[in-house]
Amino acid sequence: MINYRPRIGVYICHCGINIAAVIDVKAVVEHASKLPGVVVARDYSYMCSDPGQGMVREDIEKEKLNRVVVASCSPRMHEPTFRNTLKDAGLNPYYLEMANIREQCSWVHEDPAIATEKAKKLVEAAVAKALLLEALEEKEVDVTPACLIIGAGIAGIQAALDIADAGFKVYLVEKNPSVGGHMAQLDKTFPTLDCSACILTPKMVDVANHPNIELMTYSQVESIEGYVGNFKATIRKKARYVDFDKCTGCGICAENCRLAGRIPSEFDEGIGYRSAIYIPFPQAVPAKYTIDPERCLQLTKGKCGKEGPACAAVCDAKAINFEQQDELVEIEIGTIIVATGYDIFDPTRKPEYGYAENPNVMTGLEFERLVSASGPTGGKIIVGRDRKGEGGFEPKKIGFIHCVGSRDKSVGNEYCSRVCCMYLAKQAHLIKDKLPDAEITVFYMDVRAFGKGFEEFYDRVRREGIRYIRGNPSEIYRKGDDHTLIIKVEDTLTGTPMEYEADLVVLGVGLEPRKDVREIINLFKLSQSTDGFFLEAHPKLRPVDTASDGIFLAGCCQGPKDIPDTVAQAKGAASSALIPMASGKVKVEAQISVVNKDECRGCGFCVEVCPYSAIELVEENRQGNIIKVASVNEALCKGCGSCAAACLSGAIQPKSFKDEQILPQIAVLGVKTE
Amino acid sequence: MSNDFEPNIIGFLCNWCSYAGADLAGTSRTHYLPNVKIIRVMCSGRVNPLFIVNALQQGADGVLISGCHPGDCHYLEGNYFARRRFVLMHKLLEHVGVDPRRVQMSWVSASEGAKFKDVVEKIVSDVKEAGPMDQFRRRQLNW
Amino acid sequence: MVDENVLRDKAKEILSSGEVRRLIGWKRGTYGYEAAPCVITDASQADDLIFDATCVQNPASFITLEEKLPVPRGQQPDTRKIAVMVKGCDSRAVVQHLVEKAYIRDDVVILGIPCRGVIDRRKAEKIFGEAPQPVLAVAEKDGVVIRVNGEEKKVSREEILADKCLRCRYPNPVISDYPLGDEVEKWADDDFSDVSEFEKESPEEKWAFWEEEFSKCIRCYACRNVCPMCYCVECIVTKLKPQWTRRSTDLSENTVYHIQRAWHLAGRCIECMECQRVCPMDIPIMTLNRKLTKDVKELFDYEPGVDAEAQPLLASYNPQDPEEYIM
Repeated sequence: MINYRPRIGVYICHCGINIAAVIDVKAVVEHASKLPGVVVARDYSYMCSDPGQGMVREDIEKEKLNRVVVASCSPRMHEPTFRNTLKDAGLNPYYLEMANIREQCSWVHEDPAIATEKAKKLVEAAVAKALLLEALEEKEVDVTPACLIIGAGIAGIQAALDIADAGFKVYLVEKNPSVGGHMAQLDKTFPTLDCSACILTPKMVDVANHPNIELMTYSQVESIEGYVGNFKATIRKKARYVDFDKCTGCGICAENCRLAGRIPSEFDEGIGYRSAIYIPFPQAVPAKYTIDPERCLQLTKGKCGKEGPACAAVCDAKAINFEQQDELVEIEIGTIIVATGYDIFDPTRKPEYGYAENPNVMTGLEFERLVSASGPTGGKIIVGRDRKGEGGFEPKKIGFIHCVGSRDKSVGNEYCSRVCCMYLAKQAHLIKDKLPDAEITVFYMDVRAFGKGFEEFYDRVRREGIRYIRGNPSEIYRKGDDHTLIIKVEDTLTGTPMEYEADLVVLGVGLEPRKDVREIINLFKLSQSTDGFFLEAHPKLRPVDTASDGIFLAGCCQGPKDIPDTVAQAKGAASSALIPMASGKVKVEAQISVVNKDECRGCGFCVEVCPYSAIELVEENRQGNIIKVASVNEALCKGCGSCAAACLSGAIQPKSFKDEQILPQIAVLGVKTE
Repeated sequence: MSNDFEPNIIGFLCNWCSYAGADLAGTSRTHYLPNVKIIRVMCSGRVNPLFIVNALQQGADGVLISGCHPGDCHYLEGNYFARRRFVLMHKLLEHVGVDPRRVQMSWVSASEGAKFKDVVEKIVSDVKEAGPMDQFRRRQLNW
Repeated sequence: MVDENVLRDKAKEILSSGEVRRLIGWKRGTYGYEAAPCVITDASQADDLIFDATCVQNPASFITLEEKLPVPRGQQPDTRKIAVMVKGCDSRAVVQHLVEKAYIRDDVVILGIPCRGVIDRRKAEKIFGEAPQPVLAVAEKDGVVIRVNGEEKKVSREEILADKCLRCRYPNPVISDYPLGDEVEKWADDDFSDVSEFEKESPEEKWAFWEEEFSKCIRCYACRNVCPMCYCVECIVTKLKPQWTRRSTDLSENTVYHIQRAWHLAGRCIECMECQRVCPMDIPIMTLNRKLTKDVKELFDYEPGVDAEAQPLLASYNPQDPEEYIM
C-alpha cells in the first residue's frame, strides 16, 4: 500500500576511512540525489553513531521521508540498528534498505574509480528496491520460560546454574552417565594449580540438587523443532539397566561384576579399568550405576556365568533391571545452549610419534589421569603397569612435545589449541614436584603464555630446572629392547640436530571438534567455521550467538579455550539465553510469505517445498465455488522464500523479497555504466 | 573478444552462507574483481530461475547464484531445490544457445571468504571469454 | 481401437446417470484434417461423438479451463464430475493434473481410448492439399486409411502421422475409468535423437537457429492457451505487477517468453505437442520442451504424467541430485 509518493533519504557512510578512503563518497551522494524518489542524500563519517542516526531521524521528520536507504557496512551488521532508528522516528522499520559498500566494495576493491562506480550502482539498486518496500507488522509470541543445555561439562554446568539461579527452568542433557566433562579428568589447573576436582565437584552437586534444573544424564537429543521461544525437543534417555530411583550408588554390584577390572575406563583414558556396571569416577554426579550395554555379558550374550548376573544378585536395592528400555521424553523450551565440548587429537594420526606402539608415549590427558591423586596409580608416576596394577617403572627422563595435532596443516588443523603450552608447563611442574631428580625436557615451536598469570607461571617452571628446546621432533622410536625412547629433533635456535633419550614422552595433543559434530549440526542447523568448530553469529560482537535465533554456544564447541574463558563464555551464553526468557516475548519474523488468494491455483508446490510445514491448502469460497488455495501459518514461516521460486503464478511471495522488489534491482544492476 | 571487455555479472547470494562469506572476504580485505554485483536474498531457494533469464535480458553478461553447501542450508533444504532448478535452467539456456559459462552456481559457506574470491575470479574470467551478452538484451527505451 | 458405437453408448450411459455435468470429447469438424473438440451436457448429443485419426486435440486441456461463474446467492455450485475422453498422450495430462491437485480423482470420469496415432495436418496438406470437407482417417497397424475430398487412400504412417505418434510410448491411456476398445501394441519408442543432434551444435549455431525461430513469433499465446498444463488464474507472462516480459514482439521479449514458457513446463510437459500444432508461425516449440523432458529423465529419472502419486519434480529433491556445474 503506497499512501504517499515515495520520499527517500539516502545516507552514505564514510565509516571513518574504511569506506571514504577508497570510495568518493561525495560522488555517490551526488549520484544518489538524482535518483527517482530521492529527496535528500547525505553523507556522514559514522552513520551508525548517535549523531548519524540523529540525522536520519531529523530528516524523517523535517523532510517527511517515508523510505530510507543507508549505504554503509553489511546489513548483517547494522540492519537492526537502522531499523530501530526508523522506528524511533515513527517510521515502519521495514522501510529501510541497505547498500553494502564496505564489505562488498571498499574493502575488496582497490581502484577508487571502479569502487565508486560500483558503490553508485549498489545505491541505485537499493533505491530501486526501496521505492517498492512495504510496511510490515512485527508480531510477538510468548517465550516458554525454559532452556535446554546440551553438554554438562564446565560450560554447560555454569550456564545451567546461572539460568536456574535467575529463576528459569533448565534441562541439562549429558550424553555420558555423569556430568563433569573433561574438566573432571584434570588433576590441577594452570596457572594457579588449584585442584580441578575441588572447584568442579561442588558445582556438579549443585546442578543435581538445584530445584530449577532437570538433569538428564546418559541422554541424547533426538530431534528439535520449532523456533525461538517455542522449541520442542525429544530427548532419548538411554536405558541404564539400573533403576535410577532405587540405586543407592553403593558399588557392590561393580565389585562383583564378572568383568570387574577388565574394561578400559574411558574416564581414566584407558590407563585404569572398570567393570561392565560402573560409575565413571567416584565423585560422579549422579552417583548412579550404569550397565555398559556393549560389554555386559548378560546384555551382549544373554548369559552371565552359571548362576546369572552377579550384580543383580548382590544388589540389596533390587535396582538392576535388564529389561529396561530407552525412554523418549518431549520437552518444550524457549532457548537452547549448545555446550558439546571437544575431542582430543588422536595421536595415531601422527605415526612418527610412536603412540600406538609404545605404552610410555602418552597423551596429555592420559598423563592427567596418571598424575591425579584419584587416578589409577593414586597419583604415583608409574608407567607401563599392567591391568592388575603390577609392574611398571618410575620414569627418569621425560620429554614433553608441543603442538601435537595443532598448528599442523598435515593433519588439517591450522589453528592453535590455546591450552597445550600451559598444560604441558603445568604437567612438567607436577612431575618435578613428585620426582625432583627427573630430567625434564620440553620441545616447543613457540610458547604462547598470553593469559592472566601465564607468563609468570611459565617463567617459574623454567626456573625449576625444566629445559625448553625449540624444535618439533621429527620422530620418536624405541631403542633396543627396554623402554628407552629416542626423540629425534633439531634445535632450531642453534640449528643442531639432536637425539634425546627419554623413558616417558607426553604428547601435548590439541583440541578438535567432536567426532559426532555432524549430528549436532544437522540437529540444530549450525554452521562450522573453517577449523570445524561451530560458527558464531559474529566473531567480535556476537560470539555466543548462532545464525539461528534462540540457539547459543558455550565452551570449546565454538573453539579451543581454557577453563576461565569457557566459564566466561558460558555465563555470556546464559545471559543471552535469559534475554528472551526474561522479557517473556520474542518477535517472530516479519518478512514472511504472503499468498495472493486470487492468483493461487492450489497446486500445492509451495506446500511441498516449505521446510517448516508452514503452508497448507485451505478451502476458499471464490464467488460461491469452493476452491483450494495456499495459506501461510505466520508463526511457522521463516521467510526463506523457497515457495516463491516454486510457485508458477507468483501468487506466493516473501515480504521484502517479492518478485516485484527484486526485478527492479536486477534492472538497475543489469544496465552497464558506460 | 578483446581483453578490455569488463563483464557485468549479477550475483544472487543467500543471506546466511554466501552473503556472509562475501562479507568475510571483505573483513579479511580479500581483494577480488568488481564485476559481480550482489543481490541479497534470504535463501538460494528463493532464486526463481526466471531471475537469471531476466538478468540476461536486462543486460547482465553473467549470473551467479550462490548458497550454503548441501546439508547446511539455514532453512534446512532450500539449496536442494535451488540446485534442481538451477541445473535444469542451465541446460535450457544452453539449448537456446546461451553460452553455459555465463550462468554458474556455487556453494560458499559463511567461512569461505577465500572461496568466494575464487568463485568471482572464475566466473569473471569465464564470462570474459564468452564475451558480451547481446543475444536477447532488452532494448533500452528512452521516452 | 474403439468402435464409435461403444463410445457413444458409454457417453449416453454416463450422461443420463446424472453423475457428470459435462463430457469432453471430439466431434466431426466442418472442414479439414482435424476433428473438433466438443463439450456435451446431454445424452442426446452423444451421437455427435467420434474417434478416429483426426482426433488430434487434447481434451484434457479443457478440464481446467472450465469457467467457474459466480454462484447466485442461495444456489449451490454444480459439483458433479466432468467426463473426458482421452488418448494415451492425453491421459498423461490428466495424471499430471492430479499430481498438481488441479482437481481430485473423484472429480473426473475418464474414458480411455487406445490410439494408433493421429494425423498431422501439415503433413496431410502437403500430400493432399487443402480439404474443404471434413476428412475421415483411420490409423491401422500398417498405415492410415484417409478419405479426402471423396477419395480414399492408404498412406504409410511415417508419411502422415504426427511426430509425437511416431515416437509414442503410451498408445494406451495410463489412467482410465472406462477403457474403451482393445489395447493396442506399442509400435515406437523415443530415443530423443533429435534433441541429442541439436545438443551437439555450438552455442552460436543454436542461437542462430532460435534467433530465426523466435523472431517469427507474433505472441498470440496460442501455445500457452492450448497447453493442458497452463491454467494459472493469471499467467506471469501477461501480468503487469511485476512485469516479467514486455508485450512488444521483439526478439528480446519473444526469447524470454519462450524460455519462460518452456521453464514453466520443466518436469510437467506430457508431450502432447499441442503447442507446436497450434503455432501459426510454425515455431518448433516442442524442441525446447523435449530438451527438458530428456534432461529431467536423465538427471532425475523422472517422467511427468505417468504416476498420479508422484511428487512434482521441482517441488521435491534428492540429496544425491547431480552437482554438475556447481562450484
